[in-house]
Amino acid sequence: MSSCQTCPSSDTCYSAHNSTNDMYERTTKLGIPTIFDRWEAQQPQCGFGMQGICCQLCSHGPCRITQKADRGICGATADTIVARNLVRLTSHGAAAYSHHLEELAKTLKATAQGKTPFKIGDEKKLRDIAAVVGLDATKSTADLAIALADIILSELRKGSEEPLALLDLFAPPTRKEAWEKLGVIPGGVLSEIRDALTKTMSNIDTDPIDLLLTAVRLSIATGYMGLVGTTTLQDILLGTPSLTNSEADLGVIDPATVNIVAHGHVPLVATAVLQAIQDPELNKLARQAGAEGIKVYGSMCTGQELMQRSAGSARGFAGQLSNWLSQEYYVATGAVDLVMMDMNCSIPGLKTVADHFHTKLVSVDRILRMEGVEDHVDYEPEKVAEQARQLVKMAIDTYKKRGQNIYIPEYKAKAVAGFGVETIVRALGGSLDPLLDAVKANQIRGIAAVVGCTNNRNGQDFKGLAIMREFIKHNVLVIAAGCMSSAAEIEGLTDPAAAELCGDSLKDVCKALGIPPVLNFGSCVDIGRIGVAVTEIAGALGVDPSQLPVVASAPEYLEQKAVADGIFAVSFGLLTHIGPVPPVTGSELVTKILTDDIAQLLGGKVLVQEDPVKAAEEMIAHIDAKRSSLGI
Amino acid sequence: MHHVIIGNSAAGIRAAETLRYLDPVSDISIISEEDIHAYSRCLLPDFLAGSRSEREIYFRPEDFYARNRIQTIFGSKAESIDPEQRRVLLDDGTRLSYDKLLIATGASSTLPPIPGIDSPNVFGLRHLRDARNILKACAKARRVVIIGAGFVGLEAATALYRQGLEVTVVEKMPQILPQQFDTLAADIILQDIQAEGIRFVLGRGIKEISPPSVWGRIFSNPGCGVVLEDGTRLKAEVIIIAAGTRPNVEVALSAGIKINRGIPVNDFMETNVPHIYAAGDVAETKDVVTGQTGLTPIWPNASAQGRTAAYNMVGHPKAYGGMIGLQNAVEFRDVPAIAMGISRPAGADYQVLSSYHPEKNRYKKLVLLNDRLVGMILVGDIHQAGIYGALIKNKASVSRFNDLLLRDDFSYGYLAT
Amino acid sequence: MKQIMVDVERCNGCLTCTLACSAAHSLTDTIVAAMAAKTPARIQVMPVKGKAVPLMCRHCEEPACVDACMAGAMQKDPVTGIVTNEGNEQACVGCWMCIMACPYGAVTQHPNGKTALKCDRCRGRETPACVESCPNNALRFVEVGEFAAEKAAKTAVSQLTGT
Repeated sequence: MSSCQTCPSSDTCYSAHNSTNDMYERTTKLGIPTIFDRWEAQQPQCGFGMQGICCQLCSHGPCRITQKADRGICGATADTIVARNLVRLTSHGAAAYSHHLEELAKTLKATAQGKTPFKIGDEKKLRDIAAVVGLDATKSTADLAIALADIILSELRKGSEEPLALLDLFAPPTRKEAWEKLGVIPGGVLSEIRDALTKTMSNIDTDPIDLLLTAVRLSIATGYMGLVGTTTLQDILLGTPSLTNSEADLGVIDPATVNIVAHGHVPLVATAVLQAIQDPELNKLARQAGAEGIKVYGSMCTGQELMQRSAGSARGFAGQLSNWLSQEYYVATGAVDLVMMDMNCSIPGLKTVADHFHTKLVSVDRILRMEGVEDHVDYEPEKVAEQARQLVKMAIDTYKKRGQNIYIPEYKAKAVAGFGVETIVRALGGSLDPLLDAVKANQIRGIAAVVGCTNNRNGQDFKGLAIMREFIKHNVLVIAAGCMSSAAEIEGLTDPAAAELCGDSLKDVCKALGIPPVLNFGSCVDIGRIGVAVTEIAGALGVDPSQLPVVASAPEYLEQKAVADGIFAVSFGLLTHIGPVPPVTGSELVTKILTDDIAQLLGGKVLVQEDPVKAAEEMIAHIDAKRSSLGI
Repeated sequence: MHHVIIGNSAAGIRAAETLRYLDPVSDISIISEEDIHAYSRCLLPDFLAGSRSEREIYFRPEDFYARNRIQTIFGSKAESIDPEQRRVLLDDGTRLSYDKLLIATGASSTLPPIPGIDSPNVFGLRHLRDARNILKACAKARRVVIIGAGFVGLEAATALYRQGLEVTVVEKMPQILPQQFDTLAADIILQDIQAEGIRFVLGRGIKEISPPSVWGRIFSNPGCGVVLEDGTRLKAEVIIIAAGTRPNVEVALSAGIKINRGIPVNDFMETNVPHIYAAGDVAETKDVVTGQTGLTPIWPNASAQGRTAAYNMVGHPKAYGGMIGLQNAVEFRDVPAIAMGISRPAGADYQVLSSYHPEKNRYKKLVLLNDRLVGMILVGDIHQAGIYGALIKNKASVSRFNDLLLRDDFSYGYLAT
Repeated sequence: MKQIMVDVERCNGCLTCTLACSAAHSLTDTIVAAMAAKTPARIQVMPVKGKAVPLMCRHCEEPACVDACMAGAMQKDPVTGIVTNEGNEQACVGCWMCIMACPYGAVTQHPNGKTALKCDRCRGRETPACVESCPNNALRFVEVGEFAAEKAAKTAVSQLTGT
């Protein structure tokens, strides 16, 4: 992309992945406009929006802060407008994560009542959590699950004045202290979202400081409910991930089979579809249609959820295609029969590409709708077994209409998935100590969570990959989640062979343990899993997360969920690198608070650095500073 | 002071109006063989197509001569020049004295020396009278054959097709627009014109034109035949020869002015004879791309030369900056195209950057030599023609943005920032 | 003679000028109506390595587009200095010679595909609409000398102070 500084060739190159570049060449030849074309058409983009100083809330607007107008018509300053916009973004993220959690809680309850095809996947975790939240341990598994689901649902809905119980139970005490001091201990998430949306209406909360605190509050609520809560419930329901070998990149697509892509974030329908394709009757239908079988692939975070559980509830998973930016390109292979779109990240452009081929797009979540998509199989826990069969049949029917113009890039990479506290502890022989010892001995210099979306502003995954490579070269262990996981998988960084790219000491650790230097923690919601891991490490060392040699980076953040994630990481005490530059620079006050002052209050702060090598350098310097404070 | 201009088209008119702008008092005269207000030859196809009337192809307002106080000597041919006496002799015997003389006599259609070329209903297309005659002949015609698939031939073909005639274009080269466009570009444009319904015979020249039969003449149906090199016969009632032009140098010869193909001039548009200047299609100027002196028979160059000549005629020395000799913009149906400079490079020294999007009928080719843009072809999307043209003309080094040149958003902004 | 001068550093790519341009050339002079009628803008804001750069006609002293115009439609008004192909007796035919000739890329094809389109400096409007609308003062309608002097002063200051 034109503003890219990653490498000299990136002016003419759109993606860090050969497969996606191949496919872009194909869509160009076929005359199908895709995201890279639309990006070009949008240039140049408005500087007011970029800086966050445009307000469209009331009909006096749009107002923007300029050299001649330092306030909006209502009197709002750049600080107010920027902070208010930021809270609105965070609210969206918090809302979407809450939706995900609510679907899970309902499903857990329905499963315990025997109404779904799912089975409780991790009874031990259910009992552990039940014990922490104080449920009667003598109850049956089903009753415990129902009780836990009810607690989650009530936690979601209770008032904003009632402190979140999950936070109280799971957050490090030092964090709670810091948050209490700031008055940002949140209540029920839905109430918090209501408060935030009310505050950000015109002329209600116009104090930039209070608005920023509101964003912090929302993000903490999101952290303990939408992130930690969702990850935990998903583990209880679908099983805690275990180490598993898989493959990633567009080359996994098999032209001979009926091909279904599970795209989005909520893996429930997709898991049911994986169960359904075991059915001999459906396989017979597929063979009658001329196919050799039926395969389910993953795209984005739903794919990550399936991949990390492919040794368990997602058995039969056929591999991960790619991340957000590649969705149009896998459809353009001409070999995808059905895309089942759950909650978020299905772009309207997908339909344009699907229309050039036979591909059927189906929404599988009642809140997802797309212009031109008429097939809705909206998830209902009680009906999902039948819904899954219906989707498979639709895919088989669509397969019959598949055209001859098929091109599948040859690229695919080996990927290891399923990392989390449990798998690491198991791999280390029952304790985190070997890992902590490696950190103390400076074999592992520190840990960096490289998470979040992919973003075309600098070309797909260029910055994320550059940062990951820089980290491991300097012996910083990387934990990946979300679209960054796909990026790492496709480029082989989650393959143990990538140890060769590490600095000497990290290379030794990876080789000794047989692990890749980028640990694939899963989907973006698995940032919660990272939160749990960091909490464990902090607990084991008896320090606050902000004292650890740990950093977070969302080098290619895209949408609102990532905004909530980013603010949560800062609130959790981590130095958090965010790229591209978020729309806050129009306010000196907000920029300064986020990138500087906030560290005194919360331990973490935002690092803005567009150059990936420099960004890694600055984060490594932070890691080193934390190491020396800890005296290690 | 008396400025005399021979020629009433792009160079002559631009010179005249510039003279008047620079010099409010001197006498200015324009001599023209045609007795008509200045009209645009480039618009003759529009006249042929019926989309513009005679008045609508005038390229200056009707009061142009009066307002600029220009004496018009129309319907008279300049027969010879006496440079000693500084006089022009007209065909009616009049002698016209000048202080400064501009020869802007333009060019004429080249008629190939083949049998039957002087048959009735065989026309060139250069003057309004040609167009009028063609229209008159076409009134009773069904089939037209156009010899030459250059710019004029194709314009005429589209125009007459729109008048409802069956049009066949014959070109001896294997592609259309062979002067400037490469085969790929020519092919895209060809597809576009063929889609309209015009027929093409490419790669075959003509051997002769067979005149109408006796019976044809008796029934006033003067259908000719065009015989191609391979013996193929094409029937047509009207034949248009669009096989190039040659500069009108006769009057210059009489003055002892040095002639190559046209009249070579220096940077100040002066001929080798004092007080006599030349501009337009008749003049040979230095091509900014090749450095060679030659004819550049296109409108923008003629205008610029006329304007430059005027400055020098009034005694304001002004050098002709040099123009890109070969450049042309075309749009026959839906697909606009522009070619400039060395668009079909021969040799390993040239670097060619190109992109082709068949689905959008878009083709772009940039030719570089030693980090400088020396030529280009744009088909389908021509919005960047001017900026590429400026790079070619100014011989600017493009090494700074070599890899960005082909981008669709490459703009003047890259040069300005 | 006043010219529209661009201070590229001040442009942040909001495209307000292009909307104002469309509006000024629409029947009702409002942005909403101009957008509905798809009235095209006559100025462009182009991306250059991530930076927005406004590009507009300079109404040249010796306009290449006027030399190139074979229909006589493109003319420079000797009094106002405005170069335009509209409102003249001779009508534009859309031969694109002016597009080929303009070194700044300031002439474009009208979306109707039939005529060339360029800035007419809002024909007699005291301040051109784009200049009036620019929220960043990136566009100014000033005497050329004045602007050049200001720029030179700015450059001198920045060189002296090393900023």
